[in-house]
Amino acid sequence: MGSSVLICDDSNMARKQVLRSLPEQLSKDVQLAKNGLEALDILRTNSINVLFLDLTMPELDGIGVLEGIKSEGIDVSVFVISADIQPEMQNKVLSLGAKAFLRKPVQTDLLVDRLQEHGYL
Amino acid sequence: MPFNLNEDQQDCLQELINVAMGQASDQLARYLDTFVDLRVPSIELVSALQLSKALESNEQPMALVSQGFFGYEGIRGEAILVYQHKDSDKIGDILGYEPEELSIEEQLIDISSILTTTFLNVFASQIENQMSYSAPRLLDDNSVALSQHLNQLSFSWDTALKVNITYRVTDYSFNCDMVLLIPEPAIVDIKKVIDRILEAF
Repeated sequence: MGSSVLICDDSNMARKQVLRSLPEQLSKDVQLAKNGLEALDILRTNSINVLFLDLTMPELDGIGVLEGIKSEGIDVSVFVISADIQPEMQNKVLSLGAKAFLRKPVQTDLLVDRLQEHGYL
Repeated sequence: MPFNLNEDQQDCLQELINVAMGQASDQLARYLDTFVDLRVPSIELVSALQLSKALESNEQPMALVSQGFFGYEGIRGEAILVYQHKDSDKIGDILGYEPEELSIEEQLIDISSILTTTFLNVFASQIENQMSYSAPRLLDDNSVALSQHLNQLSFSWDTALKVNITYRVTDYSFNCDMVLLIPEPAIVDIKKVIDRILEAF
């Protein structure tokens, strides 16, 4: 069964990179968001299973999205894909409920590994 | 406007910069044993006159460390690290040095070269390039006008692509601005490289 996916990144190129790395069963129902505010809007009104989330973004950053998901009790699995690779940041996103942290630019094999680990493939 | 970047080119450059900035801040965080807060970097075209006015209108005195970089395919520019004097005095404390163990100037040069070389090496590897560097130069003498200093950079230019990144060390309320200046002819070269990356998409 397919899952609905949301990719949130302020960079068009980064969104494409993630999209290209998605295995076929996850690439059928994909929505895109340019910042955290757009992502939260989509999450509130759509049933999204998997969110691929950037951190450093204008309007509302990835940490803001994770906090929003938590406080609003939105049911979605979040995979953070970020250039901010500081260990403290990785721990922070995991403690806010993200399933996994991946560094940018995203590598397809690592993305597939993490999705498998969490039962999405 | 031959030097303007279109939306896709700007987006691509921004993403290459984000990745480089992330790794540079990780190195800075490890060096200072703290956390570095990152913001979205700004990219814009500036004239030499605008730039020296913008830097000089900043009332706080500052120290600058500048370093030229040179890659293949005509890619080159200048990386300038800008410190507020009130911050540069804190650096010794942050690094845990005893007074007189290492001068503030040497400490600023150390931090600057970590940021500059990490950033540029990661940037270069993403575009399959390789950078070499000139020796870092420190300017903390307020008697030298900034415009004069800018004239002494490794290249002369009227228009440059300016990338501005702020590394904020929140634990110590210490900020450091990294300003990359890519002069006119190199902008054309960097656009070629960006177009090649975009074509692969």
